[in-house]
Amino acid sequence: MAFQAPPWLRFVTGRVGPKAGVALLFLPPALFLFTLFVALPMGEAAWYSFYNWNGFGSPTQFVGWRNFDLLFANRAFRIALTNNGLIIAVSLLVQLPLALGLAMLLADRVRGATTFRLIFFMPYILAEVAAGLIWRFVYDGDYGLIAQIWGLFGVEAPHLLADPDLAIHAILGVIVWKYFGFHMMLYIAGLQQIDRNLYEAAHMDGATGWQIFSRVTVPLLGPTIRLSVFFAILGSIQLFDLIMPLTKGGPSDSTQTMVTYLYSYGVTRMRIGFGSAVGVVLFVICVAFAFDYKRVAMRHD
Amino acid sequence: MPHLTRRALPAAAFLAAMLAGAAGAQTTTVRVLHVEQNPTIVAYWNDIARAYESANPGTKVELQYLENEAYKKKLTTLLQSSDKPDIIYSWGGGVLREQVKAGVIEDLTPAMDADWRGRFIPAAVQAYTIDGKVYGVPMHTSQVGFFYNRELFAKAGVDADGIKTWDDLLTAVKKLQAAGITPITAGGADKWPLHFYWTHLAVRLGGKPAFDAAIAGKGKGFADETFVQAGAVFQQLVDLKPFQAGFLGTTYPQSSGQFGDGKAAMVLQGNFVLNSMRVNAADKKGLPDDKLGWFAFPTVPGGKGDPSDTLGGLNGWLVTKGAPKAAAGYLRFFSEAANQRIAAERGFYIPVVNGTQDAIANPFLRQIAQNVARSKYHQIFYDQALGPAVGATVNDVSTDIAAGRMKPAEAAEAVQQAWVLAN
Amino acid sequence: MTDDAPSPYETPVTIAPVLRYGVLFLVAGVVLVPLVATALGGFKSLGELRVNPFGLPAAWEWENYWGILASSRYWQLMGNSLIIAGLTVILTVAAAAMAAFVFVHVRFFGATFLLNYLLLGLMFPAATAILPLFIRVRDLGLLDSYWGVVLPQVAFGLAMSVLLFRNYFRQLPAELFEAATIDGCGYVRFFWYVTLPLSRPILATTAVIVFVHSWNAYLVPLIMLNRDGLYPWPLGIMVYQGEYSTDWNLVLAFITLTVLPAIVMFFAAQKHIVAGLTAGATKG
Repeated sequence: MAFQAPPWLRFVTGRVGPKAGVALLFLPPALFLFTLFVALPMGEAAWYSFYNWNGFGSPTQFVGWRNFDLLFANRAFRIALTNNGLIIAVSLLVQLPLALGLAMLLADRVRGATTFRLIFFMPYILAEVAAGLIWRFVYDGDYGLIAQIWGLFGVEAPHLLADPDLAIHAILGVIVWKYFGFHMMLYIAGLQQIDRNLYEAAHMDGATGWQIFSRVTVPLLGPTIRLSVFFAILGSIQLFDLIMPLTKGGPSDSTQTMVTYLYSYGVTRMRIGFGSAVGVVLFVICVAFAFDYKRVAMRHD
Repeated sequence: MPHLTRRALPAAAFLAAMLAGAAGAQTTTVRVLHVEQNPTIVAYWNDIARAYESANPGTKVELQYLENEAYKKKLTTLLQSSDKPDIIYSWGGGVLREQVKAGVIEDLTPAMDADWRGRFIPAAVQAYTIDGKVYGVPMHTSQVGFFYNRELFAKAGVDADGIKTWDDLLTAVKKLQAAGITPITAGGADKWPLHFYWTHLAVRLGGKPAFDAAIAGKGKGFADETFVQAGAVFQQLVDLKPFQAGFLGTTYPQSSGQFGDGKAAMVLQGNFVLNSMRVNAADKKGLPDDKLGWFAFPTVPGGKGDPSDTLGGLNGWLVTKGAPKAAAGYLRFFSEAANQRIAAERGFYIPVVNGTQDAIANPFLRQIAQNVARSKYHQIFYDQALGPAVGATVNDVSTDIAAGRMKPAEAAEAVQQAWVLAN
Repeated sequence: MTDDAPSPYETPVTIAPVLRYGVLFLVAGVVLVPLVATALGGFKSLGELRVNPFGLPAAWEWENYWGILASSRYWQLMGNSLIIAGLTVILTVAAAAMAAFVFVHVRFFGATFLLNYLLLGLMFPAATAILPLFIRVRDLGLLDSYWGVVLPQVAFGLAMSVLLFRNYFRQLPAELFEAATIDGCGYVRFFWYVTLPLSRPILATTAVIVFVHSWNAYLVPLIMLNRDGLYPWPLGIMVYQGEYSTDWNLVLAFITLTVLPAIVMFFAAQKHIVAGLTAGATKG
């Protein structure tokens, strides 16, 4: 049963003492992988972003801030930024209230609550790619649900994903469908932490249902809500997998997000420098948001 | 995969001897990556591969298929892998130029010079020659034009032979619409099917001089009047809303299928659309030849291009750096007239090998082969000719014009900006 | 709103059952209809799919499904995904648990700095550095190999996993550690014989999170893999859709079959999966 340290291990731990020994043994794998595949590439992105480079050989053509200038002057990138903003807005203003409402309906042992929770959570475990393809079918103007409904009235269906004005809205619908269940589960977990006596006390004091909700439930759910908002925003900024099967950022760039933009204008055109500049902007946005949010909104948690 | 020593290709006899020598030792696998969706053509290529294998024991030829769009998107990362395929499909042009510059494509000049070059139409080899060196094995040529559905044209009372100028085309579109027929189907989601409009108009408006001037950076380059005008003339068509509902979400295969199903009267495509139509039509057959028609891209009044100028492709195969010698050996065998005649006879494509032209049975391919042979200016597809970054921009702006999201002058300016950045 | 509800104090909301179930069934319908239609669509002919996308098939075309199940393609995709996700889980859990153990039990100069350094990974997605990451993997000669996908996935999954393990290890009673050190039990033995066996719940949670992320991942494999023989299923399904873009019925059957393992797993181990995925968020 006793653990026999192999000779090489005893050598390490014997030399430097058990504390440093275990640190020397246990930390390097994580630090090494993280440095090699996360930290260094991030630093390199900052470096490459000042070059015009197609990936072959080494970057030699220094172009200063040109990649960034081009980026912010680019129509498609501005659309991407706007879309990311829109996705955040819909996540916060539609998805989270919906999730909270459903959590309130399901937080107790009402009949069938477990089944409903599972059903609502199901879209979240589906891969984004699969969910996107499924909705591409639903939205298909020739075969899908939309075609069917419009067909009932004898009208030709709109091709939602092919219309530059409508496509992003169709995608927003899929985003809510895909992720509300996750946030609902967070809220259910949060609601279950709330002491029921508080409701009772509030009720005794003659508070109405809405008053209980706004004065008791929501404040007590604060930490959960802030967390849910944090994940909704960070997830919205990174959205990629779901867009690819639906529209690939089209038509006419109307559904680009920052990451699909990075893919179509950086990766597939092998413009390493330009694509890295997009990555750097994305990085700055993510980190600035994460720090500020932690500092401002989550300082008490 | 065992790679034989890397060296310039020796002459034919030596090559054969070497292959025979290597054969006894171990099996060499040649991996070929292609984009052909039509199973009949793939079966035909497989037949050639099997024939090559039995003539060269110890060599295996493996055909791999990747869908057209996925292939183009993958190619940029694919070529940087040490595990890349030995033979890849190519459109030539500026994309090839960048691949060569990156040093990932094998130089085939010695073998070509030995006794291979003479098999091809000179222009075809020229398309794969960069700075005097041959980097590819041309396979087929194609031309972009309007295929149309004879029944639908008859129904709307449109005479295809009468469509000579751009205004004729606009009139035809209006007539078809009046008859309740969708005039044109286009695969707007893949973008390049729409760039045929913008670029063919540029060919008609400016001819070879305009293109050469833009490449040379003379005047305003691609922001020049010709290219602005191309967008403006295309805009006239777009304003009529000639495309099927949801065309911006339709892919090329879907659009070919729609044309084959008789859902639209016309499609502006290369002749390869015939293969795609057969695979993607609901009945897997599409329109039979007698219901199909073809007319050349209309001329534009005042255009400086010659009406005989053509826009099309000159596709072929590239051998990647580090591929076994057998890769070139297989392509030599593949490009033998006897093998390419089969493609001509069965109407798969228009081979660029001498002694195959007379075998072309399909009436459309026969006509297109003559057009290309007669053309003094065969413009390769812009999206390939101008390299990956600029080509993609041409596709973007063409789609943006079709979507009503961009003005002609902005489009031309965007292409010029991409060109300056890439060169 | 009603005061006749049986026990108004138990619920955070008081709402008429009709309304409550009305809403729940409506939402459940919106969630389920696309999924059910996808599964049923795989049984239809293309012609029927056009006129009847959401009802039961008039004639059940089993060959759509059998054809895919009989193809090596489907099994290869599933196998690749399983290998990639399995390797990713093993490496992530091992590296993260070991690192977290050090951060909890060993005080040394720079520990906080190193922890914060690793946690930086929580803040940005792999997409931000995807091009340099591609160059790095290429230069290591790992393009077109499982490792080219697994190692970056592990690296980007570390931050979250270290945090989960650290928070859990800290909650383990400190007396245990003191007793063990008095016994002369070394750190490595303590980790192996005490910490890990006590940490089964968090091991399972972390494994679930990492597995699901890897199983569903699209971007990193898309960039790193070119050979279809190595494709995990999200890549394979996109290629399949590209090839059969005009045959929605086949695509739907293919989607159903690729999603099926995840759904089955979800219902078999729903408690762990829901707890795992939400815990990853709340404790992170």
